[in-house]
Parts: sequence; C-alpha cells; structure tokens
Amino acid sequence: MYTNLYKKIRYQFILIVFLSILFSCKNQQYKVDTIKSNQTTIDSKLSSDSTITQFIAPYRDKLHDEVNVILSYTPKTLTRDDGERQSSLGNIYADICYEKANAIFKTTNNKDIDLAMFNFGGVRQSVNKGDIKVKNIFNLMPFENMLVVVELDGKHTKELFKYFEEKQLAHPISNVNLVFNGEKLETITINGKPFDENKNYYVLTSDYLQHGGDRMNFFKNPVELYSLDYKVRDAILDYLKETDTIKSGLDNRIIIKNTK
Amino acid sequence: MKRRKFIQQTVASSTLLTLGGFSLSSFSEKSTKQITILHTNDVHSNIEPFPTNHYKYPNIGGVARRATLIEQIRNENPNTLLLDAGDIFQGTPYFNFFGGEVEFKLMSMLKYDAATIGNHDFDNGIDGLKLQLPHAKFDFITSNYDFKNTIMDGRTHPYKIYNKNGIKVGVFGIGIELEGLVDPLMYKETKYLNPIETAQDMSRILKEEQKCDLVICLSHLGYYYKKYPNKICDLNLAKQTKNIDLIIGGHTHTFLPKPTVVKNSIGENMLINQVGKWGINLGRIDYFFDNNNKASKGEQILLS
Repeated sequence: MYTNLYKKIRYQFILIVFLSILFSCKNQQYKVDTIKSNQTTIDSKLSSDSTITQFIAPYRDKLHDEVNVILSYTPKTLTRDDGERQSSLGNIYADICYEKANAIFKTTNNKDIDLAMFNFGGVRQSVNKGDIKVKNIFNLMPFENMLVVVELDGKHTKELFKYFEEKQLAHPISNVNLVFNGEKLETITINGKPFDENKNYYVLTSDYLQHGGDRMNFFKNPVELYSLDYKVRDAILDYLKETDTIKSGLDNRIIIKNTK
Repeated sequence: MKRRKFIQQTVASSTLLTLGGFSLSSFSEKSTKQITILHTNDVHSNIEPFPTNHYKYPNIGGVARRATLIEQIRNENPNTLLLDAGDIFQGTPYFNFFGGEVEFKLMSMLKYDAATIGNHDFDNGIDGLKLQLPHAKFDFITSNYDFKNTIMDGRTHPYKIYNKNGIKVGVFGIGIELEGLVDPLMYKETKYLNPIETAQDMSRILKEEQKCDLVICLSHLGYYYKKYPNKICDLNLAKQTKNIDLIIGGHTHTFLPKPTVVKNSIGENMLINQVGKWGINLGRIDYFFDNNNKASKGEQILLS
C-alpha cells in the first residue's frame, strides 16, 4: 500500500531537524524530530471516489448542456502570454469588447469610444485550438464585471499609458498603437491620430478596473462615467455567436524597437 | 555522515515505516507521534479533471481523485489535518452557476478541517460568501480581516487549535490586502489589519500562551513578488516573525517543488509551502514528534 502511494509521488524530500539540546532533558515534551514532505499530482493513476463522483453528477449534467454549446472556432490556441506587451488572447479580448461596446455607445451617446484597456490578470484562461464552447468563455472571463466607458482628460489618459509603460505587461488594449524603444514608450497613436494631451478621451474598461482594480487609479475619478449595462463576458459570448471562425494574433498595436 | 547515508537509503526504498522503525529502535525509551498536514490552495472551483486535450494539464486534477488520495493518507495516519489557503471560488462555471455551493459541499465531504479566505472568495460579494457558509462543515480562519461591521461578523475564527493524538496544532490565517484587488462594493466594511503585526500576535498566543506544538499560518499573501521585493509576502512574513513553523501559502499560484526553508527573525528554520493551483497537486508535510530530543543543534539535512 505504501509503495502504491509513493509511486505517485513526484517530489519527495526529507528534512531532518535536530533540535537544540537545551530542550532534550524534558522527557514529556514532544518536539519535532523529523519533517518529511512530498507532493502528489492528481492524475488518472488515482481512482475517482464514487461517492464524490455521484455527488457531482447532477450539477455536472445541469452545467453540461449549457456550457457545451459550440459558439465559434479558432484555428490556433490563444494564450495571454505569447507576445511581448500584447498577446493573441488579450488582443481579441480587447477588440471584441471595443467592437460590441462601441456599437452601444454610438447608439446611446452618438459618440465613438477612443480606446479600450483592460488588465492582463483579467484574462484568466487560454482558449484551445478548435471549437470554442460557452465554458471556454466562462474560463476566460469568469467574473461578472460590467463594461463601462470613462471620459478621461488628457492628463489621466497620459497616466494610463504611463501605467502601461511601467507594468511591461500584456494588458489588453484596442484601437491604439504604441511604439516602444526598449522599455520606453515613445509614440502613442489613438484611432490613427497622435495622442493629444489637451484632448479628452473615451476609454472602455470594466467596472472592476474603474473602481481602482489593479491600481488603475487613473480611472477612479473620470470627467464622466457611462455604464453600458453589458457584461464583459456577454460581449464576448455575443460576438462569438455571430462569428464562425475567429482570427487573432500579434499585430502592430505594440511595436518594440531595440528589444533585448 | 552515517545518519545521512541511512536516510538516503530510506528514500530509495520509499517507505515511511523504515524511517519510523529506525527512529523507534534507535532510541529505546523514545515515543514518536506523527502529524500529517495535507493542503491545497487556489483550487478556483475546479471540480472535474481538465479535459484530455487541455494544452497544459490534460486529464489532471479532479476532486473525486483528490478524495481517494486523502482517504488513503488518512487510513495510513488518522492524525491528519486537511487545510486550504484560500481562493476556493471562481474559475469554472460551477461557481458562476451554483455560487460556491458545490465547492463548499465537496470540501466538507473531503473533511477539510479549515480554510482561510482568499480575495476571490469575495467575488460574489461578502453576502455571496456568507450565503454559502451553511454548506461548509469546516472552519474559516482569518486573523487580519476584521469583519465586525459586516455580515460575516462572528463567522470566522482568528485562530483555532486542533488536538491530534496529544499534539496541539495551532492554525491562524492571513489574508491579502483587498484594496485595489477586490471591488470595495464586494468586501464592504471589511477592515484590513497589518499582516505582520497580526501574525506576530497570533503566533505568540498559539506558541507561548496556548503552548501549541506546531503553529501553522494559512496565508493568502502570495509567495513572493519579484518586481516588488518589499511587498508583504510569505517569504517576508517568515523572515520578520517568529513562532511560526509552517506557512501554507496561496494567491501567487506558485508551484514549489518542495517547501522552502526560511530563517525566521530569531534565526530558526521554518517552512513555506504552496502547491500551485486548480487542485493539480496535493501538498503533504509529515511532522514526526518525539519526547526524547537527543539531537544536537541546528543541523539540517535536505534531500530531494
């Protein structure tokens, strides 16, 4: 039985602690003599406990029908870490949200959203090559965050780009082109026009980030805040329902010169 | 040197009994007690194994398999504690559709002893967390979230002592700062207390006042932040406190191949462990206690 168990052990080590002789005279007191540690990966070599499986079954069945609906198709696996300061998954995430939200914003406010920015951490799980099912999108975007548009003055918009420059992360952005010289952000182009610090910008993001999530404090006190009453996840689900095959990849929204 | 060699052979033969037998036979009047600590972190609503075509973890994980392993280990040593370091919620549609009920019910069936609260456990708001509490037959331990002005008041323990075969195991919990991480509308009036000061208080109470034989910190601070080396994390907490024997961590989804040995503020060794995420691994640490400490000071042998 022990052998059985230990076959499954990937890592094993023993740590022996010899404790101070000072305590050794007290006979009744128990002290740590040896520490042993290991870690077991939960894989198919372990049988499934039938009580647990039976308990899960009705929940799984209920979910199964809803989450296995096929929405669209991707010819390649989309991940959040396949690029430098951008990613195939982050790009399509931001682009979809921009497209769906802009349609609403245009109708209700007769204006265009200038750019979109979300957070790298909010892109939760990769989308495998092949059929895209409802569950993939729940895994990608499990949160109930709502899309919001903030009107930022030039100063706060600049802070947004400063944040992007400092973090060096693939925070999903859309409708914007950034040229870096190494780590330094040199050129900002929004909707094809150079960034103008004297202008206000309409920025699409989520309510979570607008409330200061990921310390995006530049979103906290906008000139104006527009709620779209539309969840990030619903925007992605709606887009995929209308799209047979999605295309995404790395593009020139981020250009890095003199990269190491 | 002789002893080291012996232990290497023990590892090669991969049996626990040989080691126990050795300990018992070497010191005739000695009695040994074994406490097994099992732990998970950041399971994030992963109930079923990943699909067989998963890009990174094909057919890995699953609560039903974890249950089998835990049962095997409990049969081997009934003096086992099963702990979770937070972020039980959020990550699969099980959470979106059932709100955490399935996670808590399963953890109860697996007989978890305790869990601490992670930032994602607030994802349906503090009300959403409280709503699921009736499904949890285990303790929630958090020492530095002050819930006094919230609906969670009185629902958690600042620390808890588990008596296993006469060994007192004290457990306390340290959560991560919620501001900037969780929407304030979600955590409401939860007050955040200084993690280091709280950890010092809790570990002093447990070790010095309550005379616990083992003090465990369930932490959701995160293991370490390379870009922010001074940010509070498990490594920094370990170095700046004493009286903690083991930090079981979470939040950063760190896959530690084995526990990290850290010197605490008074130069004593303690351990930090974290086993990644999503129920991919079960961590296990066995403490062998004896009442006849002949050992000389300070030396450690680490074999991996």
